Amino acid sequence: MSMPDHPDTFIESLVDDLKPVATLRQSTGMVRALIALAAGVIAIVAAFGLRPELVRGHLDPLFLISSGLFLVLSLATAWSVIDMARPFVGTRRDGWAWTALMAAVLPGAALGSLIGNMLRGQHAAIDRGGVFCLVFGTAIGLITAAALVLWLRRGAPASPTRAGFYTGVAAGAAGIFAVSLHCPHNDLIHIGVWHGGTVILSGLLGRLTLPHLLAW
Amino acid sequence: MLADEASLSRLAALAQRGDRQAYAAMLTACRSWLLRYYRRKVAPEVIEDLVQETLLSVHRKLASYDPGRPLMPWLAAIARYRFIDHLRCAYRSAGEAELDDDTTDGHDQAVIARLSLDRLFEALPDAQQRAIELVKIEGLSISEASVSTGQSESLVKVNIHRGLRRLAALIERL
Repeated sequence: MSMPDHPDTFIESLVDDLKPVATLRQSTGMVRALIALAAGVIAIVAAFGLRPELVRGHLDPLFLISSGLFLVLSLATAWSVIDMARPFVGTRRDGWAWTALMAAVLPGAALGSLIGNMLRGQHAAIDRGGVFCLVFGTAIGLITAAALVLWLRRGAPASPTRAGFYTGVAAGAAGIFAVSLHCPHNDLIHIGVWHGGTVILSGLLGRLTLPHLLAW
Repeated sequence: MLADEASLSRLAALAQRGDRQAYAAMLTACRSWLLRYYRRKVAPEVIEDLVQETLLSVHRKLASYDPGRPLMPWLAAIARYRFIDHLRCAYRSAGEAELDDDTTDGHDQAVIARLSLDRLFEALPDAQQRAIELVKIEGLSISEASVSTGQSESLVKVNIHRGLRRLAALIERL
C-alpha cells in the first residue's frame, strides 16, 4: 500500500482496506505449541522407540525430574513467546526465567560433579553418545520453533531479538524432552551436559537466526 | 480530545470485526495520541511520516490487539517499536550520506537523524556521549577512541556499555 501524504486520505485508505481479523488468543497459541511438542515426541518415538525402562514401566527418578523440568521450561517459555505476539507496554514476560534457573541446576550440578571427579583425580568422562541427544533434540525442536515463529509473525513482537532467544529456548527444551523419552542414559553428567546443552545451543541459535524473521 | 480507554477498546474490538466507522474513529484517536507522542522525540519534519508508518503497522497488526486489555499500551508498544526502527534507519541514512555528499536528501536525513540522536544524547554524561559517538557512530576503534578522549580503553568500553544501556532505558520510558 502506498503512503498518501494527506492524513485524512491516509486514514480513509486504511479504513477502505479493513477486513475482519481473528484476534491472537493465548489459548490458541498454546494449543499449537502443544501440538508441535506432541509431533516431536511422536517423531522420536516412531523413529527410535521408547527408552527400555519406560517400556518396562520402571521410571528412574532422575529421568522424571529432568524431563519434567525440560517439559515445564518448554511450556513456560512458549507461553511467554506466544504472549509476545501481542505487544503491550508494561508487561513483564520473565516468569519463564525462574523455570530456566531451575532447569539450569542440571548442567550446574553436572559441572560440579565433573569438577569434583577431576579434583579427586578420577577420570572425568563425557560420553560422546550425547551428540545424538544434542543433534536430534535441536532438530526435533525445529517443529516447535516453526510453530512459534509462524505465530509471532502473525503478531507484533516488540523485541524480535528477545523473541528469537525465547523461541530457541522453548524449542530446545521441547526437543530434548522428546529425545529424553528415547535416551537410555540416567546419569547426571549426560543429562546436564548434553540435554542442558541442547537448550543453551537452541537458545543461542534462536537469538542469532530468528530476529530478522520476526522483524515487522 | 481522546476518547476514554474503555471506548477506545470497544472501537478497536469493533474494528477487528470489520466495523469501518469504529475503525475510522479509532485511527483518528490513535493519530492524535501519536502526534503528541512523537512530538517529544523527533524532529518536526519526520513526525507525519512516523505517525503514518505507525498507523500502517496498527493496520497490519490489528489482530495482535487483545480486546480484553486497554488499547493505549498496545499502541504505545507499536509506536516505540517504530520509533526504534526509525532511529536505526536514520543511523544508516546518516552513514550513507557521509559516503555520498552529492545526495541532498541523504544530507537532510542525516541532519534529522542527528536531531533525534542529539535529543537523546542530552541525557547522557559527556564521557559516555563522546565514547558512543566516536566508536558507534564514527567507527573508531576502542584504542583510537581512547587516545582521542584521554580515557583508558577499559573506561571507553564501560562508558559505551553504560551509555547504550541508559539510552535503551530512555527510549523505553519515552
